[in-house]
Amino acid sequence: MQFKDLPPVKEQLMKCVRCGKCRSVCPVFAEIRNETAAPRGHVFMVEMLRDGKVEASQQVYDRLSNCLMCETCSVNCPSGIDIHELNAAARSYVYKNNTSLAKDMIFDTMWTNPGLLKTAIKMMWGAQKTGMQSLARSLGITKLLPGDMPKAEQILTSIPSRSAKSQLAEINRARGEKKYTVGYFLGCATNLLNPKVAVATVDVLTRNGCEVIIPEGIKCCGLPQLANGKMDTAQQLAAHNVKVFNAYNFDYIVTDCASCSSALASKNMHFLLGGSEFENEAKNFSAKVIDLTSFLIDILDVKPPANEKTNKIKITYHDPCHLANAQGIKAAPRELLQRIPGVELVEMKDANRCCGGSGTYSLTHYDLSMQILDQKMHNAKQTGASKIATCCPSCMMQLRHGINREHWNAEVVHPVELLSDSYKKV
Amino acid sequence: MEKIAIQKELIKMFGKDMLLNEELDLMYYSYDSSFLTKLEPASPYAVVFPKSTEDIQKIMQFAYQNNINVIPRGAGTGETGGCVAVEGGIVLDLSKWDEIVEIDAKNMQVIVRPGVIHAKLNEELAKVNLFFPPDPGSSQMCTIGGMVANNASGLRAVKYGCTEQYILGLEVVLANGDVIITGGMKSRAIKNVSGLNLTKLMVGSEGILGVITRIRLRCFPKPRARGIAMAVFDHLDDAPAAVLDVYQAGILPSGIEILDSSAITAVNQFKPHIKLPAAEAILLFEVDGNPPSVEFEGNVIQDVVGKRARSVEWATDPKRMAELWEGRAVTSTVATRVRSDGSRVFAGEDISVPLSRVTEVLRKIKALGEKYNIQVVNYGHIGDGNVHTAPVINPENPEEVERVLKLVDEIHLLAIELEGTTTGEHGVGAVRRRYAALEHGTALDYMRKTKDAFDPKGIMNPGKLI
Repeated sequence: MQFKDLPPVKEQLMKCVRCGKCRSVCPVFAEIRNETAAPRGHVFMVEMLRDGKVEASQQVYDRLSNCLMCETCSVNCPSGIDIHELNAAARSYVYKNNTSLAKDMIFDTMWTNPGLLKTAIKMMWGAQKTGMQSLARSLGITKLLPGDMPKAEQILTSIPSRSAKSQLAEINRARGEKKYTVGYFLGCATNLLNPKVAVATVDVLTRNGCEVIIPEGIKCCGLPQLANGKMDTAQQLAAHNVKVFNAYNFDYIVTDCASCSSALASKNMHFLLGGSEFENEAKNFSAKVIDLTSFLIDILDVKPPANEKTNKIKITYHDPCHLANAQGIKAAPRELLQRIPGVELVEMKDANRCCGGSGTYSLTHYDLSMQILDQKMHNAKQTGASKIATCCPSCMMQLRHGINREHWNAEVVHPVELLSDSYKKV
Repeated sequence: MEKIAIQKELIKMFGKDMLLNEELDLMYYSYDSSFLTKLEPASPYAVVFPKSTEDIQKIMQFAYQNNINVIPRGAGTGETGGCVAVEGGIVLDLSKWDEIVEIDAKNMQVIVRPGVIHAKLNEELAKVNLFFPPDPGSSQMCTIGGMVANNASGLRAVKYGCTEQYILGLEVVLANGDVIITGGMKSRAIKNVSGLNLTKLMVGSEGILGVITRIRLRCFPKPRARGIAMAVFDHLDDAPAAVLDVYQAGILPSGIEILDSSAITAVNQFKPHIKLPAAEAILLFEVDGNPPSVEFEGNVIQDVVGKRARSVEWATDPKRMAELWEGRAVTSTVATRVRSDGSRVFAGEDISVPLSRVTEVLRKIKALGEKYNIQVVNYGHIGDGNVHTAPVINPENPEEVERVLKLVDEIHLLAIELEGTTTGEHGVGAVRRRYAALEHGTALDYMRKTKDAFDPKGIMNPGKLI
């Protein structure tokens, strides 16, 4: 499909009246404060691209990509424009004229191949374990990395030695009476960087009557590719995952990763596969997709066992953009936390403001990402909490980095980890 | 002086970090919210982000010596092309200069730099139980500098008036780089009739007389109570009549807002939880003051309006009031939602007519919409006769564009015919300048002479206002 014929470009571009409402909510604009970073500015640039008034150059790509894709502008746009979709479509269009071998390798070859991705993460683990990462830093070798990577490599701290997949079976039987058969979309970041979350997810689901199946052949949800100008690859990944999951007869498809669930939800699936041969299959697939916290509260209505002996902990919750903005899920994770014995939930200011991580943004725009993170950490610290809970591995990585930067003795957890622990403590 | 040479000089003066000069970046400054700049965007030669009076003096001296146009800009949320370099020039983006210099609570005033966001200012003033009453719908993003330059008002002008009533003094950098302070060099007085009132001259001058760099604003005590009555009407004509009834009953609400049937639909689409009832019109009456007076006025409004309205909802719950007020505040943009393949355009959107002719103007605008086969959404500050009209078209269809331009021309002429004006609060900018002679007659010559006195070379925001 031609760029100008893509649904958001064809139907939504005209709707921007440049009212500027987006200026008041965009986390990137709040730092840069000039019109080139305003979401309406991105919409304007997409219009210029469509009309051929600017060339699809690297300079245009650089400006368009200075956006977290956090969707804050989209949910606040009075005209109802999906600004992030316009931006993603435009990045992809511009990228085709400005390809990069390194990017192709990362997003087309490595990130679409779970085996290769695992190997790369293993190598990073090895580098950390053997002290090579520290050595490379002290020798200044990391400075040779491209773009913002010399600084951003610090974000990848404490890579686990074992992936979740190596710790979990393909079929995990329900404990007690079986209520549902659940397909677990084990995302790349949870699998390789937060395996404890995956183990906790399977534990909690099986305890609550779900047979949990982790299908063979799951690939990346496609969101990193979409954010990096690779819409074609994202479409291929989406179609692949639809096929993998539709081969089963699941009651629900659950994921503990906010980014994955937003990528697999009907809106994004329609954006990627609407009008294609996979449209109907994708609709059937997305109809079953549900974020873990919503599933635990709204469907399973989990009630962790009471435990009066448990220690009280003060927890604050950070809303991942892909959960709060993309899917409107704010209540379920909070409700879940409050059901866990001992948890005192303390709201931070602007809990639903982006942490600056946003998938690969912190790796490509490190300094700006840290400015956004600093504000988040300030708000989190003000609560006096000892843990920050959130439902997205990218946020978890970013928040952990923030804690390290602040030398703050706090921990970042997924609510499901606390829930799983609560069963074990009794 | 050539554009490249201008950019080089500016870089020499300020360094690269304080300005934009790449062609691509300059394009982002070719628009505001006006339909005009959507049709005819105009990039400046450079964009500078000054953060001191001295910076601006330097720019003005350079511009004056070299006959370069200078265009002050706030958040770019205006609807008239007022901050766009329609005749080329240097844009001064003042939105980063957002310091609240001093909150002088004892003297009920505050001193700010031009880039302070309206909502942010009121957030800070609330901490000392004060507020700056004018309340534009764009409160979350518009700057105080922009409000002063346009003499903005908004949802509470019925009781509290416009920005001009709150400006005690200004610091202005003139075209030749001279700096003047209006309202008295050392004055913190609230009442002041000393000298010619240059403050009032500057307010609403849309950047054609100088660059406003410091603003001394009067504040009011924050009302202790508030209430909103939402009246629902089956007949559009009853709404303006109900407004007059309320005035006749001796009540002056802080705001009286109208939404017509299309506006109601649009708001419900964007914010379904507000649940505005379907009707030909809805009026929102806001009253504020002390709790007993709010209750009393609320009761009177319910009684009086209830005689014409289908129903009246009285709200004092902060959550419900915020919903209703927000619903009205976003109407200007959500109007777009009434047509799936269209968008509202900001053109002909701000006429103001005498209170006695509001019913007539609403009927005539509706008829004009039918004449040109264009859907129009009406909303606005009915309490002061300021009607906002949102024509909804496919802005990418040249034939529709042609039709809408004819429609808005007729709307502007209609306002003048009904003893009103083409703009109640958004300003003239580049889009309504063509009506200046018709509205002002020979006074326009004196306006131009006044501009010449301040800006003999005509470099301050040319192509606007007069």
